[in-house]
Amino acid sequence: MLALLQNSFFAHFNLWGAMPSLVLIFFALLVFFEKNNINFSIFFYALAAGLLLDLYSSSQLGISMILLILFGFFAKKFQQLMLESRGKYAFVQFLAIFFILFFSYNISLQIYFFIFKEGFLFLSLNSRFAGALIYNLVFSSLFFWAYTRFFSGLSDNRQLSLFKK
Amino acid sequence: MQVRNLSLNKKNSTFLKVFSWAIVLFLFVAVLNIFQSQIKNYFYIVSNPLEKNFWAAGEAVSGFTNSILRSGSLAKENESLNLQNQKLLADITFLQEKETFFASQGEAALTYENSNFSLVMAGMMGLDGADLISIDKGSEDGVKEGMSVVNQQNVLFGKVFKVYKNFSQVMLISAENSIINVKIRAQGQEGEAASEIYGVLKGAGGLEAYLDLVPIDEEIKNGDVLITSALEGSFPKNLLVGTITEIIRNDQEPHQKAKVGLLLNIASSNLFVITNYKDKTN
Repeated sequence: MLALLQNSFFAHFNLWGAMPSLVLIFFALLVFFEKNNINFSIFFYALAAGLLLDLYSSSQLGISMILLILFGFFAKKFQQLMLESRGKYAFVQFLAIFFILFFSYNISLQIYFFIFKEGFLFLSLNSRFAGALIYNLVFSSLFFWAYTRFFSGLSDNRQLSLFKK
Repeated sequence: MQVRNLSLNKKNSTFLKVFSWAIVLFLFVAVLNIFQSQIKNYFYIVSNPLEKNFWAAGEAVSGFTNSILRSGSLAKENESLNLQNQKLLADITFLQEKETFFASQGEAALTYENSNFSLVMAGMMGLDGADLISIDKGSEDGVKEGMSVVNQQNVLFGKVFKVYKNFSQVMLISAENSIINVKIRAQGQEGEAASEIYGVLKGAGGLEAYLDLVPIDEEIKNGDVLITSALEGSFPKNLLVGTITEIIRNDQEPHQKAKVGLLLNIASSNLFVITNYKDKTN
């Protein structure tokens, strides 16, 4: 549903061509709120999110899956290494996790297109990329708020409960 | 010693676990890619009705919000459109006079090269971040890779990039990989014939593009219209592309560049795929 919304509904609300990457935001949320010791879940979240992203892009099926598995685990590891007081700074830490995922996923995808799709290498670290990043950070903040507000009751997640305190 | 062995065993077991998962993933991706076309097409068939509704809803909501957000600039825009309209009327009059002159000379007035194309109407239903749109016509409807996609007003959108059985992906002219040859119809003074200058339109991504490789000694102005020149043979000629919005001139370079306001608008729901252009040129 998020993938459909992202590619059809939100296509009309693009900012300099950038659209909110709802699938990636939701994936980041799932990774962030996943219990530290259960890594299998991240694997399956990455499979599902990656498949959806690949279905709507011109890349081969599986590219986003592999990238999300790699960066999902990396982001989780990064989260584990961050300060213990994650409850207090959960929101900031979530934005950091999302930033890592968004940045590394997009850059890797551009490198992939350059190598395998006869494209040009546009490592677009320009104002448009920054615009897309800010646009997505705004949406990810909204999603974070909605997730903690409406879904906190469905989970006994440690970070959520800490964030609520 | 025993502790060390245990640690080594644990490391080996983790490595084996990761390795076996990697193999499973590799096999899974390989199988997915064997059936890629079928999977994407099946997914399209299932999601198409919902996606079309979302697209229409997005169009309606964005139209409404835009009208509120842009209410301040509407008066200014209206004034500018009025001026543009007057200019177009003047151009029409000039062309009509020209047509009458040629007709009286016993020559064909104008060659409407684009009027004999076979078109397949397609609905737009999705946009991906890399300036690719999805349309609801595929190989079953005669769509092939490389075909040009336009709207009703002959505005060029791009070319078919990937074709599936029931849908296709179209690479917009704003995509970063897109390069097309264009002709700049410089606006002449009233009554003066418009001159033609050639350049290259390069996609910049994010639904934007810029004009490049225009010789520095050619005079181009804001508002000049870009049309396809068909030099590269990918697109029919005289399709509308955009207008120049800002000229970037550097005297140390042999060419000038310009920002272009593309005429393609993703709010248009219906597009047309030109299916016989290559046949005509061959």
